[in-house]
Amino acid sequence: MTQLILYNVYNGLIIGAFYALMALGLSLILNLSGVINFAHGGFLALGGYLAYVLMPFVGFWGALVISPLLTALIGLVVERGLIRPLYGRDPLYSLLLTFGLAFILEDGTRFIWGPATLPFSIPAWMTTPLSGKLFFITGFRLFMVLLVAVAVFGLFLLLNRTRLGMRIRAGTLDLETVSVLGVNVRVLRNLNFGIGIYLAGLAGALAAGMLGLQPTIGSELIMPSFVAIIIGGLGSLTGTLIGGLLIGVASGVTTVFFPSASEAVIYILMGLVLLVRPRGLLGEEGRF
Amino acid sequence: MSQSRPFKVGRRTVLKSAAALGATQLAAPFARAQGGGPIRMGLNDPLTGTYAELGKNEQIGCQLAVEEINKKGGILGRQVELLVEDSTSANTGNAVQKAHKLIDRDKVQFFLGNVNSAMAIALGEVSNQAGILHIVTGGHTDSVTGTDCHWNVFRVCNTTRMETNAVSKTLFSKYGKKWYFLTPDYAFGHTLQQGFEASLKANNGTELGASLTPLGTTDYSSYLIQAQSTNPDVIIFLQAGQDAVNALKQAVQFGLDKKFHLAGAQQELEVLDGLPPEARVGTWVFEWYWNQPNVPHVKEFVAAIRKKNGGKVPTARHWFGYVSAWTCALAANGAKSLDPKKLAKFLQNFKLPPEVALMPNDPFYREGDNQLMPTLYVGHAVSQGKADPEDLFVVDELVKGTDAALPVAETGCKMKWPA
Repeated sequence: MTQLILYNVYNGLIIGAFYALMALGLSLILNLSGVINFAHGGFLALGGYLAYVLMPFVGFWGALVISPLLTALIGLVVERGLIRPLYGRDPLYSLLLTFGLAFILEDGTRFIWGPATLPFSIPAWMTTPLSGKLFFITGFRLFMVLLVAVAVFGLFLLLNRTRLGMRIRAGTLDLETVSVLGVNVRVLRNLNFGIGIYLAGLAGALAAGMLGLQPTIGSELIMPSFVAIIIGGLGSLTGTLIGGLLIGVASGVTTVFFPSASEAVIYILMGLVLLVRPRGLLGEEGRF
Repeated sequence: MSQSRPFKVGRRTVLKSAAALGATQLAAPFARAQGGGPIRMGLNDPLTGTYAELGKNEQIGCQLAVEEINKKGGILGRQVELLVEDSTSANTGNAVQKAHKLIDRDKVQFFLGNVNSAMAIALGEVSNQAGILHIVTGGHTDSVTGTDCHWNVFRVCNTTRMETNAVSKTLFSKYGKKWYFLTPDYAFGHTLQQGFEASLKANNGTELGASLTPLGTTDYSSYLIQAQSTNPDVIIFLQAGQDAVNALKQAVQFGLDKKFHLAGAQQELEVLDGLPPEARVGTWVFEWYWNQPNVPHVKEFVAAIRKKNGGKVPTARHWFGYVSAWTCALAANGAKSLDPKKLAKFLQNFKLPPEVALMPNDPFYREGDNQLMPTLYVGHAVSQGKADPEDLFVVDELVKGTDAALPVAETGCKMKWPA
């Protein structure tokens, strides 16, 4: 029993890392621009499909590098063309827009690549378990965790050590002042949105290695990311990371005792956090 | 001066006449359906969401059948027209609304659908109230031709119990009697598990445990950890569609196929197609298979579907759609009537002709529960097709529908015919 629980904790951390990757992108966009990006799942699917298309030409690794960049590029265009005009308005407008965009992206991928699940293969050595006992730790999953760690580390470096990052953080706190100080807020928001979508694309390429690649892949994965943000606290990227890991572990451990509740438990956790600490674990008070 | 402008057309008149014209155009379908115009067949199936691919394939099968029916003289000498409505994959309310549109507004004479079991049951109620012939294409849960059966509702695809019965013997004799279940938490999964549990009981097998997985689960790792900890002979996967792809892909990445036998009941070519080659493993039931070299007319059917399906071979879903549409035509032309009650009577124990059946053992609609008794294909998945890349299943055994199905008395179906 203890072993089973321990296994599920390890496994939960792996899944949680993946949730965190998606949630970080969402969180970035939400923090700076106040846009709740419902289309994040759509961009994730797009990342997966682009990786699938690129793979025959540039291999798995090439696809893993190029596909998120392409997805981010599309994200930049979408932000410029569709989301920017809505910044001054009630958040409901951008919410509705991204909600519609999510449908367009899902049906768009269905239109282009068809409704059928596409067989997405990853290099064979990555799909074998590293040890007989801890059979659920495969090369691919380990790689995924490492990649998430690198992405998170890179993101924190970017935010804390670069001029762009500092502006993004400053903008998150007080966009108006940043704008008055001569920073081009439009470009800032655009780049920030691109980084968020880059993370979605990366998550998509990784997800396609574990799950079946089909148009609804994004919408199936997106809810836990929202929960991760709420649990971690709006406005805090560290909180989002912790939130992601936490729901991964909670869902895994619940499986040992009550498998059919493993999905529900993350929402129960969210409810509890909202009751006891409405701003989330590391969230700032008074935000949203 | 009023008489000097007798032909002046006022703005109101223009509006009125435009409205009247619009009304006649709207009314056109009513008028056409009644008279000697085309006969209408309405398909209500998911074209978006999780089951989009399955619904689309059933639609292609229907289309092919309708073209063939029209080429052979139509139904009672009238051409057939196929109307299709998207039921969506999960919104039963929407499916019912679309059914009313087909039945009440478009006045279809025949009603077909649905992939989703819950929708199939709900649509059965709608078609029963309207009193028209309804062929359920691909919703598998037992009650459609069991406790929820209706005189006007016939079903082409198998019941879940037929599928579990068909494969159980092979699993017991070849792989062992200790099973662990991964069961999707809705009607379809539950009835499949109950079917297997009945087999376990009858053969003194052991159920080591069952994980109920929510529909649409993406990560199966924690359930798989649970399953392997019980050290079963067989892990039974009851997931369908995308859930099946996710569960199998992950089980194989964890190397579980090398430690245990992986199996299940219903498997579809759509799922095997979506899996990477290494994850095409396990023992399953197919409801129809395209590679049957010794069965007449199958080759022609495969060639015809390939033309409509971007070169891809037909799956069981194409066959469901094809048989469903043909059943309507065969019944009407056989009974020489469009009266639903006469058609339903005609279909009792009706044998499908070989060019529609496309399988051995003369499938027929069983009297008493209106369930088709087809042949079931028990076999195993293979990573790569030998002669054709889509030949991903090897049939090991053919099981007769009558041997797999519960007797009518045990299905719970109490058929009530209208006076």
